Amino acid sequence: MIKKTALSQGIIRCHDCGQLALRNDEFGSCSRCGKQLHARLPQSSQRTLALLLSSYALYIPANVFPIMTYTRFGVGEPHNIIGGIISLIHGDMLPIALLVLVASILVPLMKLLGLSLLLLCVHYRWQVKAQHWTKTYRIIAFVGRWSMLDIFMISILVSVVNLGGVAQVIAGTASTAFAAVVVLTMFAAKSFDPRLIWDVQE
Amino acid sequence: MTLMNISNYLACPECDLLLRKVIFQKGETAHCPRCQYLLRRPKNESILHTFVLSLTGLFLLVPANILPIMSIKVLGNTQAGTLWGGVVTLFNEGMWGVAIVVFLASMLFPILSILLSLIISAHLYFNHYNPLLSLSLRVLNHIEEWAMLEVYLIGIIVASVKLSSMSELKFGLGLNAFVLLLIVSIMLSSNFDSALFWQKIDQLQSKKRPLTHPND
Repeated sequence: MIKKTALSQGIIRCHDCGQLALRNDEFGSCSRCGKQLHARLPQSSQRTLALLLSSYALYIPANVFPIMTYTRFGVGEPHNIIGGIISLIHGDMLPIALLVLVASILVPLMKLLGLSLLLLCVHYRWQVKAQHWTKTYRIIAFVGRWSMLDIFMISILVSVVNLGGVAQVIAGTASTAFAAVVVLTMFAAKSFDPRLIWDVQE
Repeated sequence: MTLMNISNYLACPECDLLLRKVIFQKGETAHCPRCQYLLRRPKNESILHTFVLSLTGLFLLVPANILPIMSIKVLGNTQAGTLWGGVVTLFNEGMWGVAIVVFLASMLFPILSILLSLIISAHLYFNHYNPLLSLSLRVLNHIEEWAMLEVYLIGIIVASVKLSSMSELKFGLGLNAFVLLLIVSIMLSSNFDSALFWQKIDQLQSKKRPLTHPND
């Protein structure tokens, strides 16, 4: 059996509900759900690239600037993401330190590099094992949300440790940059169309 | 092949392979033969289960969001933390960007996804047509990945480990409601058979306006 793509048969799939339509109806709307029909996600590579570049730019302040300050009786020093992990290691909480390391540093970095590779693959029409690359895309799309861990931890900490001069946690400037990195990379993964990987294979 | 009836086919959303539709048995799963994408996993009574689960979730929403998750005691001062309290404190500290992201991901989108699941499944279960059904299901599909209760729970765990070393820590009633809400949301998403929901909406739609679908 020759495997054929829907597009090569003049058929396109609605992005939202999955119903098939004829290619002639492109830019019309889906008869079932009303979503505008496209053969592929519109300007997929350009949108992903734009979101990715913004994320790279924000990744630096997210890691350099302090993410939160914990003060006790008015004394306390701000620390950044790595500082938080180091203080967890010093407190003999290695498993939690590893968890934060993976969620806050490794996952965003892997996402940025992985999406960059996917974009290069599509742009330069690399002949690759598309199945593996699709799997890479799926992992990137799946792990994206877990980077929000640090942001949620800060949110619950500022709410609990809010005793004025006695003890207080204050969120730092890096938290905005970090939250933006997570949200932008999630949008970048969403705007990338994995079918492009298959389209460039000959 | 261009003259074929496209309603007998489906396309893989991740590699665009054209496939012939087959009738599924309950409990079977269908993967794309080319990229292994999970095409469909039919569920038993998906609509009824969605209805019951989202109704359960509805009662957990308020306690999970406003009851204290945990509290600390330092020098006789007690302070309790809630989901909503975190958002408010972040906002007051000038971190409005972070506050908005936390509010959306831990409160608004989980609430919306439970409400939309309830509305859609109730309409489909009682065969009641509403022109907004397909829009609601589209919105639900889009907001689902932005509801991050499970990530929040890990955040609570990390925060409590950090706090346990410096003060007396007590977990509150809100945490129970939160964990139950999380379990309900996970069961909701694993019970949700999107293809069945679309099929059902299509049926209701064509019953309502039989003349607008000359191609079917």
